[in-house]
Amino acid sequence: MEAIIILFLTGIIALFLGIFKQPKLTTVSSILGLVAAGIVQYFPLDILSDKYNILEFGDAGNAFVILALMITALIILSGDKGFQEDKSHVGDYHALLLFSLSGGIILIGFKDIFMFFLGLEILSIPLYVLAGAKRQSKESSEAAVKYFFMGAFATCILLFGVALIYGSTQSFELEKILEFTAENPVGPIFYVGLLFILASFLFKVGAAPFHFWVPDVYQGSPTVFMGYMSSVVKLVGVFAFVKFFRIAFDNVHEFWTILIAVLIAISMFIGNLSALVQTKFKRLLAYSSITNGSYALMSILYQGSVQDSSLWIFMVGYGMSVVALITISTIVNDERDEISSLKGIGYKNPLIGLVAIVALLSTSGIPPFTGFFGKLMIFSAVWVNYPWLIILALINSAIGVYIYLRLIMTILSKENSETTSKLSITILQQGVLISCLVILTFGWVFLAGWK
Amino acid sequence: MELLIVTLALGLISFIIPRNNIKLFGLMGSLVSAGVAIFHLLNFDSTAPLTTLYENHTLPFGMTFHIGYDGLGLLMIMLTNLIIPIILLSNYNNSKTSESSLFHALVFLMQFGLLGVFSAEDGILFYIFWEFTLIPIFLILYWFGNGTNKILLKFFIYTLIGSLGMLLSFIALRTHATSFDYVDLVAAKLPAKKACWIMSGIMLAFAIKIPVFPFHTWQPDTYTSAPMSATMLLSALMLKMALFGMIKWMLPLAPEGIADLKWLVLILSVVGLLYAAVMCIRMNDIKRLFAYASISHLGLIAAGIMIFTKDALVGASVQIVNHSIIAVGLFLIAEILESRLNTRNMSEMQGTATLAPKFGFWFAVIAFASVSIPFTAGFIGEFTLLKELTDFNPWIGILSSTTLVFGAVYTLRAYQLSMFGAPKNEIFEDLRWNEIAVFFILSIAVVVFGLFPHLISDLVGPSLDRILAIFNAPTSL
Repeated sequence: MEAIIILFLTGIIALFLGIFKQPKLTTVSSILGLVAAGIVQYFPLDILSDKYNILEFGDAGNAFVILALMITALIILSGDKGFQEDKSHVGDYHALLLFSLSGGIILIGFKDIFMFFLGLEILSIPLYVLAGAKRQSKESSEAAVKYFFMGAFATCILLFGVALIYGSTQSFELEKILEFTAENPVGPIFYVGLLFILASFLFKVGAAPFHFWVPDVYQGSPTVFMGYMSSVVKLVGVFAFVKFFRIAFDNVHEFWTILIAVLIAISMFIGNLSALVQTKFKRLLAYSSITNGSYALMSILYQGSVQDSSLWIFMVGYGMSVVALITISTIVNDERDEISSLKGIGYKNPLIGLVAIVALLSTSGIPPFTGFFGKLMIFSAVWVNYPWLIILALINSAIGVYIYLRLIMTILSKENSETTSKLSITILQQGVLISCLVILTFGWVFLAGWK
Repeated sequence: MELLIVTLALGLISFIIPRNNIKLFGLMGSLVSAGVAIFHLLNFDSTAPLTTLYENHTLPFGMTFHIGYDGLGLLMIMLTNLIIPIILLSNYNNSKTSESSLFHALVFLMQFGLLGVFSAEDGILFYIFWEFTLIPIFLILYWFGNGTNKILLKFFIYTLIGSLGMLLSFIALRTHATSFDYVDLVAAKLPAKKACWIMSGIMLAFAIKIPVFPFHTWQPDTYTSAPMSATMLLSALMLKMALFGMIKWMLPLAPEGIADLKWLVLILSVVGLLYAAVMCIRMNDIKRLFAYASISHLGLIAAGIMIFTKDALVGASVQIVNHSIIAVGLFLIAEILESRLNTRNMSEMQGTATLAPKFGFWFAVIAFASVSIPFTAGFIGEFTLLKELTDFNPWIGILSSTTLVFGAVYTLRAYQLSMFGAPKNEIFEDLRWNEIAVFFILSIAVVVFGLFPHLISDLVGPSLDRILAIFNAPTSL
């Protein structure tokens, strides 16, 4: 709770600093705010939480909040160079990111559908603005409009579903819905409501069959915000999805698990097969985020102590890879965003090369990188009930390796493209790359640390 | 533990060593790691079931961090740590690779991965190291080889698909075991049908790596396009991971499945060894010839392992060591010919022996070792394997024995074509000191293991006995 307030205040401070055109100070205050929020989240002050009791994090929630804060901080640092150049808007960008993140934290800690809806909207609305931040670009405007309309529709469907659920269970609280379904039989209205909520969730996390907006919006948005969407938003989206369904609808899980399993299988193939033929870097990342989102979503298919830990470790691996890749993309800073513009960048700058290898191999699930452990834990937990899904997922992993390996070969090539011959990399970006490298390489340490 | 840390540290330090010192540093570093391995060998107690190096069972989710070795593991560790200096020595004058810090770093990282594979005592750890070895070799092939992206992708994806099969098997096996620890995985009791699937999954990984016919198609292209040292690493060490894995991991883990898979793998191995041998006879590209020869030799070892008797496994161990030695020798020969004549086509190489008598002599020595004449390790290894195969089934035995004849035909044909006849080329620089040293060490090793094969069999014997004891094989089908 205090973390959300700190983030919100930091956002307002960023707005004011923006007015006084203090770009450097804005970055410093945002980072400090994120760090302070992390500390407060980890060592709670207990000023407000007990009084209202609307949010509950627990150990797992805390870990997810800290991960989201960390990824956001790294994204802000990696995009800092671009923000500084746009002096009149730097405060807005910071503020909107922080507002959106505070919504994300509500989405991790919610206990009833009210807070859930609040969190979802606070998370989404700043993103509609950020997607259109490149105002001169047609694609960016298209992304913003598309994202806004699609998001609005999804929200309507969600609200409709919530109304139906409330109508059949007389409660907004997840635990009470669970109790109600345990004691009373539920009618078709309940299931229709469930399906509506499911649809809007699938939309938010970008899974099939509601994934069409993802590539367009990701490609149009500025790189930094696209990184935020595909890491932090995906993280909190999947976490909220799992939490919502595994608490509120756990008693009817036979009804929806098989459905989600089939949709996951479809999403994996859609994401990977489309990524095979992409020539634009951000579009490739968008399709790869559809696939990875569906791997993450597999954690909804089982219950127990490994549920949170496996999702968390998977998200550490995936989030850090995204941060590393979008940092590389910002460093190259190619307007056309062609994959061929990355040619030779790794051979020219060994740090970028090393980080690219590690990030891409981690996403494709090659040990000993963090991504492997996340995949391993999720897959082996799902294996018990859905062996066919895991076989499909491993086939997809192989396709994924093909996609990422081609990318690695492009990046490590000895030949140069025009863009790579004039690279400029800031100290902050170097720091971001190094932290990604460390976290992706020593991810197995988290395994030992997770209780 | 220092066994692994030394090589990892060498790998990381190599990145920052300047170009003009890296050659010497690489050689010295590999000798240090060889020294560490010899120290372990001297202190080895073959009666103990397992020499544990490090153990941590507190990881969540059934994963353990458990490394150690038994006799078989130590044999492979010794092999790795002694072959790497020889590879670096034979690569000493090859300025493209030997003067690159990156190359040495990758070789040491590769060595680290191999040592991990041979000392892992946990399924997931084994898989991690198994996959890890793929990354350095891929980068060596990419940066220092002349293969097209297509060949490299084929190599990586092909071997990776096999590995995914193994991962799936471990995941499936875990549902029957308390943890991924080797002991627990071995103790798991499986229904026969499931065991068969699990075994096939693991076998897929090994069959692609060895490679067993029809999974061999990645191998000749990769070998021919790779730089010499990478070919040596691949054939002398990396393929041995799969043979080691068959003995230590595949058969003990799912012994219930062997009845169904025994004949399949045996027949594929024998078909592969015949097919590769026949391919060799018509081959004019010398490096490709040795690549196919490698398939042929390894097919015999794989067939022998599938019989799973003590003698066959001892024969396989001897042959594993022998093949590593021979492979380094043969690929060095191929490299010498290719780099000095700028061709791999044997019909353009005539008469090299008259120009370079020393080379002619040492090529003959390695060629004879390769066709397993008596007093070489190959004789002991192949003879034991063939005897066991014939005992198991005379037809299989007879068919595999033709590999001796074919082997002699294609090796001596290669020798004849490249060495004898009127010289086609004007100049051919004779052997350099490092090449003579390599050939000398290799031939001594071959003869020593040929005369005293018990050096190997005493080392691996007790651990093979233990594996055979947990393995309750049905004797008849």
